[in-house]
Amino acid sequence: MTDPVEADGATHAPLLSVDRVAKSYGATAALKNATFTAIEGEVHAVMGENGAGKSTMLGILAGLVRSDHGTVTLGGVHYAPRSAADARKFGVAIVPQEPTLCDHLNVAENVTLGIEPVSSGFVRAEEAQRRCKAALAPLGVDIDPTRRASDLTPAERQLVCIGRALAQSKVRVLILDEPTSSLTMAEAERVLDAVRALADSGLCVLYVSHTLGEVVRVADAYTVLRNGETVRSGSMKGVEVADLTEMLLGHPAEARVRAPREKGERVLSVRELTGVKLPAGASFELHRGEIFGVFGLVGSGRTELVRAIYGLDRVVRGEVHIGSSASTRSTPAHRLHEGIGMVSEDRKGEGLALTMSVADNLTLSKLESISSGGIVSPNAQGTAARDLITRLQIRCAGPDAPVGSLSGGNQQKVAIGRLLHQNANVLLLDEPTRGIDIGSREQLYDLSIDLAAKQKAIVWISTQPAELLAVCDRIAVMRRGVLGAPRDVTDWSEQLLLQEAAA
Amino acid sequence: MTEAKPTEAKATEASAMSSRLRRVLGEPWIGPLVALLVVYAMFAVVTPDTFLRGVALEMMARHTVVVAFCSVGMTLVIIQGGIDLSVGSVVALVTVVTASLLRSGYSPAVAALGAVLAGALCGALNGALVAGLKITPFIVTLGTMSALRGLAKGFAGEQKIDADAGALEKLMLRDPDSALPFPPGVFLAIVVALFGAALLAYSRFGRHIVATGSSPATARLCGISIPRVTIVTYTLAGLLAGIAGMMEFSTLTVGDPTDSIGLELEVIAAVVIGGGSLFGGQGSVAGSVLGAMLMTVIATGATHVGIANWIQEILTGAIIVVAVTVDRMRHR
Amino acid sequence: MKRRDLLALGVGLAGTAACGSKSGKMKIAVIPKGTTHEFWKSVHAGAVKASRELDVEIVWKGPLKEDDLKEQIGIVETFTSQGVSGIVLAPLNDKALVAPVKAAKSANIPTVVFDSALQGDEHVSFVATDNVAAGKLGGERLVKGLEGKGNVVLLRYLEGSASTSEREKGFLEAAKAASGIKIVSDNQYGGATTESASSAGEALLVAQGADKGEVAGVFCPNESTTFGMLLALEKLGLAGKVKLVGFDSSEKLVAGLRDGKIDALVLQNPMNMGYLAVKTMVSHLKKEPIEKVIDTGARVVEKSNMESAEIKDLLSPDLTPYLGQ
Repeated sequence: MTDPVEADGATHAPLLSVDRVAKSYGATAALKNATFTAIEGEVHAVMGENGAGKSTMLGILAGLVRSDHGTVTLGGVHYAPRSAADARKFGVAIVPQEPTLCDHLNVAENVTLGIEPVSSGFVRAEEAQRRCKAALAPLGVDIDPTRRASDLTPAERQLVCIGRALAQSKVRVLILDEPTSSLTMAEAERVLDAVRALADSGLCVLYVSHTLGEVVRVADAYTVLRNGETVRSGSMKGVEVADLTEMLLGHPAEARVRAPREKGERVLSVRELTGVKLPAGASFELHRGEIFGVFGLVGSGRTELVRAIYGLDRVVRGEVHIGSSASTRSTPAHRLHEGIGMVSEDRKGEGLALTMSVADNLTLSKLESISSGGIVSPNAQGTAARDLITRLQIRCAGPDAPVGSLSGGNQQKVAIGRLLHQNANVLLLDEPTRGIDIGSREQLYDLSIDLAAKQKAIVWISTQPAELLAVCDRIAVMRRGVLGAPRDVTDWSEQLLLQEAAA
Repeated sequence: MTEAKPTEAKATEASAMSSRLRRVLGEPWIGPLVALLVVYAMFAVVTPDTFLRGVALEMMARHTVVVAFCSVGMTLVIIQGGIDLSVGSVVALVTVVTASLLRSGYSPAVAALGAVLAGALCGALNGALVAGLKITPFIVTLGTMSALRGLAKGFAGEQKIDADAGALEKLMLRDPDSALPFPPGVFLAIVVALFGAALLAYSRFGRHIVATGSSPATARLCGISIPRVTIVTYTLAGLLAGIAGMMEFSTLTVGDPTDSIGLELEVIAAVVIGGGSLFGGQGSVAGSVLGAMLMTVIATGATHVGIANWIQEILTGAIIVVAVTVDRMRHR
Repeated sequence: MKRRDLLALGVGLAGTAACGSKSGKMKIAVIPKGTTHEFWKSVHAGAVKASRELDVEIVWKGPLKEDDLKEQIGIVETFTSQGVSGIVLAPLNDKALVAPVKAAKSANIPTVVFDSALQGDEHVSFVATDNVAAGKLGGERLVKGLEGKGNVVLLRYLEGSASTSEREKGFLEAAKAASGIKIVSDNQYGGATTESASSAGEALLVAQGADKGEVAGVFCPNESTTFGMLLALEKLGLAGKVKLVGFDSSEKLVAGLRDGKIDALVLQNPMNMGYLAVKTMVSHLKKEPIEKVIDTGARVVEKSNMESAEIKDLLSPDLTPYLGQ
């Protein structure tokens, strides 16, 4: 273990010190031994696969969970908060993963919610706006306090949430739980800059993220948890993505060997496809046995492209051919029939019905195959679901478990498993790895490559250049609703992709 | 080894039993069932000589029938993510339609068919408006609640319609010489409730209803036609309200356009007590029917014991809130 | 909620235990059409008075929602299954209650019907005001008050309510008999509550141009419509200008009569009705001979005779000895 107190050669007394903290729920130990220290003015990355004990440890620090063993000191004082409010009194605040803003209120009203400045019962709007600006200042951002929350971009929403945490109490330690998980790369940059600025102003930021690239870029120190224990903790200096991956997985990441795949017949061809706003004349062809990557920044129309193909959004102009027959305007039901399946980028809102069971979610798009005469056979459904659970290594209590109780990675496997159940030949995957841990991500890469080898055709949309370069055969960049010329993956690099997307 | 095996088998059997027990205890209708038994036992202890009699049971079953039919339909609608405020007006309209048909000389069979059809038509209207205009079901059915009530009054010429109920009267009247403990209407309600529960649990369409209520976007992604599910669900609910209206007519023996004002709230309460969520995706037919029975037992018990109306209303209100609170706590 | 109400709730719940005991007295269920109108409170007082005089137990239970027909049927059935000695019932509908009353009869529970008629012959006696005659009385009084000429309006009570439609019928007979009287509206309903009657009344008055002096008189067939109409007249500033003849009494209606805002009220004798209904039931249970139809009478009250002792008792009967606060 490297000495955590050493940074820039100067020695600081640790602000936060976590020593052998443990927590069990019944017989399961969620956290066995978490140990690390963090100092003022640093961004401290906290990493771990799902189930590694990250959320339990953050919960203990934020006052939501009480530890069984171990001690935490804050500024040299014993720290054991009894509630979130108690934690805030000590100067520890947490910003949850999903921004929670009241869409109908403006930025200043959101930031000062609950602490509105009043005089004789009336809210002083100008004072609220002044306080809002003051709260956002350390983030180095300038958002008009009178804008409605519903008009904000995702990055701005995240920033306003952070600003709100700062405005509500005097914060010394700020916990950010995956603040960039639902953002595109360009947006994430904005948030990362703000996080850096915040630490430079003297705050201690505990930063949770699955995206290792951004962790390497923004963090000064790191702690990696695995199976409830601190595996490594230390300075970020000289640490590379590959090192972190190895620490997280417990073994080096497998280098994917690109086996040459046989390109089969053409299954999908899109010509000048134009939607109400986006896409604006996108064309491409897709063959069996191929993974076709689409890279694009937010607003480039990549999601709209697959939605239009799948019949979810209206097609204004252009053509879609399935196999050799023209079939431009369609409905999801019809596309399903034609052997096309889609995984939505919005897993919780659209991809899955969270209150329904794993089995229901897996089989929902093709109940016919497990029913007769309109009656669903529970046995057939159970068998089909168990097959997919085993095949995709979905970790869940069983086919009857509500899908909402699964981790993000396992939920995504269910969403993709549905396409396998409906036996789709063409898989439209919109940001399939968004917000899931590395382990699940690796499994999805392997699964897709395996499917392609079995002559399925895949469209893979992503904002992560690295993953496209790892799994795709051909990649095209989407810009302002138009798809650039597809090129073989060997002709691309991260640099080239980003350049073409921003050009 | 040979000796170890049976013990092992027994152990797995036991654990399978306990997991099955746990699953049964997790069913949404367990809460209302327990509440029903407790409340019934309470009243039975206080008035054992009257509350335990067969007549009292037969009567309570009969008094639950109308709400039970409607609550089966409402359960479907609420699980689908909607709500139907027009059910009371539909029931009133159907009593009027039934009475009018009978008075015009049609046979009871034709009148019954007309009743069910009228209900289904009202439901189809609700469904078509919700699906077609994309207006929230609350607003649509608030509108049809008033409009159908008006239609019922106009159709009835603003008065109650007398008609010879003939065979329809038998639906809710137990033949004293019969060996059966309940009139036919009660048995029909049981059959329809079983049918509704099976529809939800085992049919493809049932899955589509749950999926639409749980997450409309996901349902769409999975190729489910939401307008179709919506229209069919409301039509089914209307059809059931039609049967309820026929039962209501059988009880009243007149077509009454002012009947069943506020019935929708009773029915929604039954569904909510039974574990239904107004956000959609959750609910159980068995729970709803038990919820309906619970309210009947409270009303009947209050009369037997001589509790004043205002206390009875407080009790009913408290039960609704307590039921939902307990249900939420169980799921935590 | 106030402390006292909580206390009342507690007592009410505790009462559940007390009621379980058997007293050996005759137990008579009295079922009104509703429980909140003043009229039914007087009936209740009369029933209590009779129960005290005759030493029987009465149970007072009306529908939760005023005028809820189905619930009233349910209440009759509940008492039947519970097995009371007799049922005293003011039926909300003259046909729908026949079957439950018949069922009670076959369970050896006789029914005395009061206030409104019931079809058929399943009940043992009918104790009520002769409503057609009472309506006629009101109509004649309105004609007299208008000196035989002018436009008049009828605000009906509720679709399908037998007693009030008989009064409405009686009123229309009397009004049509006077040649100078023109009935400009007779198809509007006030509905079940004072609130609905008041808004219906106001709309009706405005529609008929009452504010321009085009309505000379109004007739209402029960307490809620009369009070609703009084409120409507006050709102339009027409109280006292348009002659109002109403039905039944309450504190507010008596005050209206005193202030000249109400021309006359036709009074039934609800307390006597409750009293006679229970008394008739007891007589029947004691196998004494009873009349098949008992008229409880009606009187016209106006400002000039409202102070007489006999009328005073009718107008504002003292219910506290029977009902408490």
